[in-house]
Amino acid sequence: MYQNNSEGQALDEAMLVQKAIGDDANAFGRLYDMHVDRVYRHIYYRVGNEADAEDLTQQVFLNAWQAIGRYKKMASPFIAWLMTISHNLVVDFYRAKKDKAYLEAEALADDSSLSPERATEASFEQQSLRRAILQLGGDEQQVVILRFMEGFEFAEIASVLKKKEGNVRVILHRALVKLRNILEKERK
Amino acid sequence: MKKFEDILVQCIEDIKAGRSSIEDCLDRYPSMREQLEPLLRIALEIREPPDVKPSSSFKVKARVWLMDQIHERQPVTKWPWFRYNSQVKSIPYRRRFSMASIILVIVLALSALGGGAAYAAQDSLPGDALYPVKLGTEQMRMMLPGDDVVKAERALSFAERRVGEIEAMAEKERPQYLSLAVEGYDDALNMTLARIERAGDKGLATGNITARVAEATTKHLSVLDTVYDMVPPEAKEAVAHARNLSETGYFHAMAALAKNNTVRAAEMNLAAMEGRLNRVRARVGDVEAVEIALQQFEAMAEFSEEISQIAQAIGLNITKVEELVAEATSIHLEVLADVWERMPEQAKPAIERTMANLQIRHQRRVQALEQRGIKAPTAPDIQPGQLRERLEKRIREQQMEWSVPDDVPQGQGQTCLAYRR
Repeated sequence: MYQNNSEGQALDEAMLVQKAIGDDANAFGRLYDMHVDRVYRHIYYRVGNEADAEDLTQQVFLNAWQAIGRYKKMASPFIAWLMTISHNLVVDFYRAKKDKAYLEAEALADDSSLSPERATEASFEQQSLRRAILQLGGDEQQVVILRFMEGFEFAEIASVLKKKEGNVRVILHRALVKLRNILEKERK
Repeated sequence: MKKFEDILVQCIEDIKAGRSSIEDCLDRYPSMREQLEPLLRIALEIREPPDVKPSSSFKVKARVWLMDQIHERQPVTKWPWFRYNSQVKSIPYRRRFSMASIILVIVLALSALGGGAAYAAQDSLPGDALYPVKLGTEQMRMMLPGDDVVKAERALSFAERRVGEIEAMAEKERPQYLSLAVEGYDDALNMTLARIERAGDKGLATGNITARVAEATTKHLSVLDTVYDMVPPEAKEAVAHARNLSETGYFHAMAALAKNNTVRAAEMNLAAMEGRLNRVRARVGDVEAVEIALQQFEAMAEFSEEISQIAQAIGLNITKVEELVAEATSIHLEVLADVWERMPEQAKPAIERTMANLQIRHQRRVQALEQRGIKAPTAPDIQPGQLRERLEKRIREQQMEWSVPDDVPQGQGQTCLAYRR
């Protein structure tokens, strides 16, 4: 399946979203085609294994369909909204595990599953950083991932988290301080 | 005075954009140096996650499941007949009808128009007055008795009709209604796949119907290629979407077939790959068409690996499959080398990429077969020259990109294909 690389891609997506809000399943199917890779990659990074990433990715899109009437294009693109749904599902997923140690165990134990195709690129430092990011709290983790990994603007993140842009910057600052503390502790 | 977090964010932006360095930022805010530096270094370390992609088969299966969930949860009254009401008169709001009232409307319409109308409707196309009657009779056929395999066959026949309609509208130069037929194709194909899945869950034999879907969607691809070449630019997107739908259906059917009959799945996949190479050969000079056909070819080549993995996962012997694929790959490489000579320069990188990927996979396959004591055909020798140099360079680059430790499964797709639904 191919990405539509035409100049009007944002416009096409807006049209598809409107149609999907109007109960057009085919339009929603096309939105799925456009975004499934990115949602999967995002979730895979956070859960660290294929089986859970697949399950959660499927659920993201079903949840998105069910909530599509509530999506309003403010400052956030559709993919940012999907990322929020992904984040919430991942949080619930770990909550269901009832054990934060699970989170650490998954992140620590299975380095090779993180990036089987790019194992040489996944250096020790990147692995430490990933473990540290996954230990951050909900909003902090979300802001770090959306800003630095997914490339969203602060305005878009603010819209997704329903916060002011200034607050998002404060959260980012806090997140980086926590990351510094976690990494220092690990080095000791 | 600027807040610390604003300074931090600005510095990160400037450094990432290349407007500044860490030292520049620290020099600009010396009183914050101690606080700022570690945070900047961490922020700059955070990179995009590795490019992990879901497997084609997962994407297909998930899409079918999603569409199934969506249609199951929609009111039963969402008949396609109703969607085309805009051709007859516009409906300002969506109304809900019971199944019984829909049937009643169709029966009344047929009574008013005469029995011949139902017959005449069968040749109608989107945009024609009787087209809703045609779709209505299809819906009624779906309600006739039959198990899920029978219903899958019916739905597949509707999908074939939609492709026929797409072709007819292109020939009659009526591209304005193409998207309606494409939507109908999407519906029919999803219905087919959903019924096959249900049939499988109920333990019915699905080998034949999945093979038919795979064959049908391969043919649809070829038809849609021709239609794509025919239609004006404003209609191409709809046809491209239909092609994507065919591929979705194809991969889904093939994944199911691979579990039932791996060798047949491998043979059919290789035949489909040859179809894509024929498209490449037929459209030498059309860079866009060649690139799309090569992408499709590569997706099918990746799928060859997935067929082996599916077979291995359920404990089947994959030697025969690997032998078939190795032999075919050798021929594919020769064909691509020949096509490369005739391609315009801007299309050559796409062919080189495809050939490099094929060669790497072929090498691995041949090694695996030789370890089992089976001699497989080696890749054809490419004559020294520009193609050989470029290929060698691409292979080196690809091998570095795909380089993984020995104990980690290889290949770009995912390797564990556990079908949990």
